[in-house]
Amino acid sequence: MSVRARNNVTEHGSPEAQPMLFAHGFGCDQNMWRFVHPRFEDDYRVVLFDHVGAGGSDLSAYDAERYSSLQGYAEDVLEICRELDLRDVVFVGHSVSAMIGVLAAAVEPDRFARLILVGPSPRYINDEGYVGGFGREDIEGLLDSMDSNYLGWSSQMAPVIMGNSDRPELGEELTNSFCRTDPEIARRFARVTFMSDNREDLAKVDVPSLVLQCSDDAIAPEAVGRYVEREMPDARLVMLNAVGHCPNLSAPEETADAIEEFLRG
Amino acid sequence: MRVEEELLEPSAEDLFENAPCGYLSTTLDGLVLKVNRTFEDWTGHQREGLLGKKRFSDLLAPGGRIYHETHYAPLLRMQGEAREIALEILRADGSRLPVLVNSVVVDGPEGEPQVIRTTIFDASDRRRYEEELLRARRREQEIAQKLQRSMLAGELPSATDFEVGVGYRPAERELDIGGDWYDAFWLSDDRVGLVVGDVVGRGIEAAAAMGQLRSAIRALASTGLPPAALLEALDGYSGCHEVGGMATVVYAELDRSLRELRFACAGHLPPVLVQPGEDPCLIWEGRSPPLDACAKNSRRAEASCSLEPGSLVLLYTDGVVERRGETIDAGMERLLEAVRAHRTEPPTSLASTLLRALGGGEHDDACLLAASVA
Repeated sequence: MSVRARNNVTEHGSPEAQPMLFAHGFGCDQNMWRFVHPRFEDDYRVVLFDHVGAGGSDLSAYDAERYSSLQGYAEDVLEICRELDLRDVVFVGHSVSAMIGVLAAAVEPDRFARLILVGPSPRYINDEGYVGGFGREDIEGLLDSMDSNYLGWSSQMAPVIMGNSDRPELGEELTNSFCRTDPEIARRFARVTFMSDNREDLAKVDVPSLVLQCSDDAIAPEAVGRYVEREMPDARLVMLNAVGHCPNLSAPEETADAIEEFLRG
Repeated sequence: MRVEEELLEPSAEDLFENAPCGYLSTTLDGLVLKVNRTFEDWTGHQREGLLGKKRFSDLLAPGGRIYHETHYAPLLRMQGEAREIALEILRADGSRLPVLVNSVVVDGPEGEPQVIRTTIFDASDRRRYEEELLRARRREQEIAQKLQRSMLAGELPSATDFEVGVGYRPAERELDIGGDWYDAFWLSDDRVGLVVGDVVGRGIEAAAAMGQLRSAIRALASTGLPPAALLEALDGYSGCHEVGGMATVVYAELDRSLRELRFACAGHLPPVLVQPGEDPCLIWEGRSPPLDACAKNSRRAEASCSLEPGSLVLLYTDGVVERRGETIDAGMERLLEAVRAHRTEPPTSLASTLLRALGGGEHDDACLLAASVA
C-alpha cells in the first residue's frame, strides 16, 4: 500500500515550490487546516495528510505496536517526505503533531527548513517541577468522554469510517461529519498523545522553529509554550490573541499572518 | 384568567427562562453571554458569576474540557453546528451533571459568525443506561476472551523425538475476538492428533461453537477415526446440532515412529511442510469444503506424506496470512518467506516468532501450530 493512500495525502499549490507539510492534531483530520493552507498555495507546495486512524486514512494500516508511541507517527511523517521527495520542508504541526514534527526533525534534521509548532506540549501531565496542565485522572476522564460520545454513533458510523460504499446514504445522515475517527484507534491515540513525554527531545532539534501560543489554551497553557521555546535551541514564541486550542480554526488569519511573518524572516 | 392567558400565550422571556432545557449563549471564544433560569437551577451556577467571566469549557470536568477543545470546538467552527455531544457540567457544588449538548453558530448582520447558542439536556438517566450498556458489552468481550483462552490452555504433547509449539494472538480490537483454535493430543504412544480450526462469527457465540467442535474432534479422534472419516463424522455433528457450520478445520495425525503425516483439510488453508534441505512448500492435497458444506454423505479427501527426520509441519488460520487490500497468495508467500528465515528455531518458539514477524492482526485472531519430528 502506498504511503499516499495510507495517509490520504493531498496536495495543493505550486508543485515546484518549497514544500509545506501540514499535520493535524488529536481529534480531527486535515480539515483542520482548511482555512489556513490556501494562503500558502501561491508560494508553496502545500501537502496535507491524515494520521492513520483519522479522516480518510487507511484504517487497516493501523498497527498498535507502531503507533504505541509518537515515534511511529513521526516515522509516517518521514515516510511521506521520502515518498513525495520533500526536501527543505516547512513543517506545520498542530497540537500533538507539533511534537511529532519535532521527533521527525530529530531523526532527519536536514530534511526540515523550519518547524511551526501550533499549541505544542511535550508533556500534558504534571510532573515534579513541571506543569503540563493535567493529572492522570483527567486523561481517564477524557477517555470516558470519548466513550460516551462514540456510544451513540459508533455502530452507525463504522461503515462510513471504513469507507463502506454499500450504504452511501449514511454519509448524509451524519450530524457531525468532519473529523471522523475510528473510535478504538482514537482511544489509543488519546492515550499515546496525553501520556507522552518528549521533553528531552526538544533540545535535540536546532531547526529554526516558531511556537504559536494561544491565549487561554486549556490543552497547552502558556507556561508549556514558554517551556518549549526555552528548551529548543532555535525557537521563538509568538503569542496569538486567539483563545483556545485551535487558532487554525478560530483565528486562521492571525495564524497565517504569524506563519508568513516567520517564513519571511 | 390572566394566569391562563399567560400559560396559553407565554412571553418569549418566560419561554426562554423556564424552558425545559438549559440555554446558554457564548461568544465564539466560549465566553458566557447569557444563561436561562433552568440552567441556573440545574447547575447551581448563578448568572452573575458566569456572564462575561467564565467560558463554557470552564464549566466542564477536565477530561470533558479536553474533549471540548479537541472535538467539539473544531466541529462547531467547521460545520457551524454540533449535535448530541455528551459532556459533564461541573455544578457549583462540585458534583457533575451529565448532559447532551446541541450548539449552533449564529451569524451577525454582516454574515460573520458571532454567537454560539447552546441547548443543554439533562442526560443523567440516559448516561447511567449507557454506562450499563458499555459495561455489558465489555463484560461480554471479557467472557468471550476467557472462554476462548480457557479452551486453548492445557499441556501440549511432547517427546524426545517430537515437539509441538503454538502461537496465538487474539484480535487487537476486542470486539473482533473470533473463533480460532488449536489443539494437540496423544492418540496412542506414537501418534498425535493436531488440529487448527476457525469458526465463523465473533464473540461469545464463536467461542462457544469453537469449544463444541474442539470437544467433538477429541471425542471422535479417540474412536480411532482417520482424518477424512473424522471430518465426515464432524459434518454430521455440526449439521445435527447446528453448530460450527462453515467452520474450516485441518485435522492431522502425525505418527512419529512411521514418520508419517495423514491429514484432511475442510476448507482450511493448506499446511506448510518443511523438509530438511528443501524449500518450505504448501501441501494442496486432502482438501474438501468447509464443515457441513458438503452434499449429504459425500466423501472427504485425505492425503498423507512422509516426513524426513528433522521435518516440520505448520498449521495456521487465515489471520496469520490475510491482510486487507492484499491477495491471499501474497500473504501465503509472506508466510513462506518468514518460515525460510526462521526454520531453524524449535517449534516451541517458532510459532510465536512467526506470528511476531508476520505482524498484522488488528481485526482477526491468528493461530499457528508447529510440529517437528526428530
